[in-house]
Amino acid sequence: MKIMDFLSKKAILPDLRMSKKEDVIKELVDSLVSAGDIEKSNRVRLIEALMERESLGSTAIGQGIAIPHAKSDCVSKLVGAFGLSKKGVDFDSLDGEPVYIFFLLVAPHDSAGSHLKALARISRLFRDKYFRDSLRGCEDDKGITRIISQEDEKF
Amino acid sequence: MTKVAKQIVVQKKEGLHARPAALFVQIANKFDAKITVKRDADEVNGKSIMGILMLGAEKGSVIIIEAEGKDAQQAIKELEKIVESE
Repeated sequence: MKIMDFLSKKAILPDLRMSKKEDVIKELVDSLVSAGDIEKSNRVRLIEALMERESLGSTAIGQGIAIPHAKSDCVSKLVGAFGLSKKGVDFDSLDGEPVYIFFLLVAPHDSAGSHLKALARISRLFRDKYFRDSLRGCEDDKGITRIISQEDEKF
Repeated sequence: MTKVAKQIVVQKKEGLHARPAALFVQIANKFDAKITVKRDADEVNGKSIMGILMLGAEKGSVIIIEAEGKDAQQAIKELEKIVESE
């Protein structure tokens, strides 16, 4: 599975405006709504599901990365949004560090397998510091798409 | 230095997804022992969530946990519980 298979190209935010956990999640969900991946009528329900998942334990997995995720019947296949924060967001990460890179995932209820594969794929790419740093240096969505696609092709 | 390795079949219904991975790492970090987890050709640091997630270990997959250090035995004992619980 490649990241570009599920990342919505129109839901890539190079400069997140918000700085609080719930606000960043809303900002990312809104990008999926604008991209047409999520119906506007499902917006609130999806945000609630994502926040509920956060309450079970932060999805900030270290190295400045968070992968907020939820299962929801408002999608028929796995879809993801991407965002960069220049100043960093306190996301209650286990290592106590702020989060700069966000990858939000929404999966249908029956997708345990593809969800796990997506998490694995994201982790495989993002554990490379050079890759993370190049992404953080991106100024626009095209640059982000280019760097992720290049990395995606490597393995 | 004690070195212990154990092969385990993942029993979690949804595999080692984000929450069990976080729990695994939390437990692993209680120990001084160096902890490594292997699946096929991949070998990751057992104290990194990203490492564990990268393995994409679904239910039924086989992983090997290695611990090296004086508390290695106890580390393996606690870690295998997480992987083997459903």
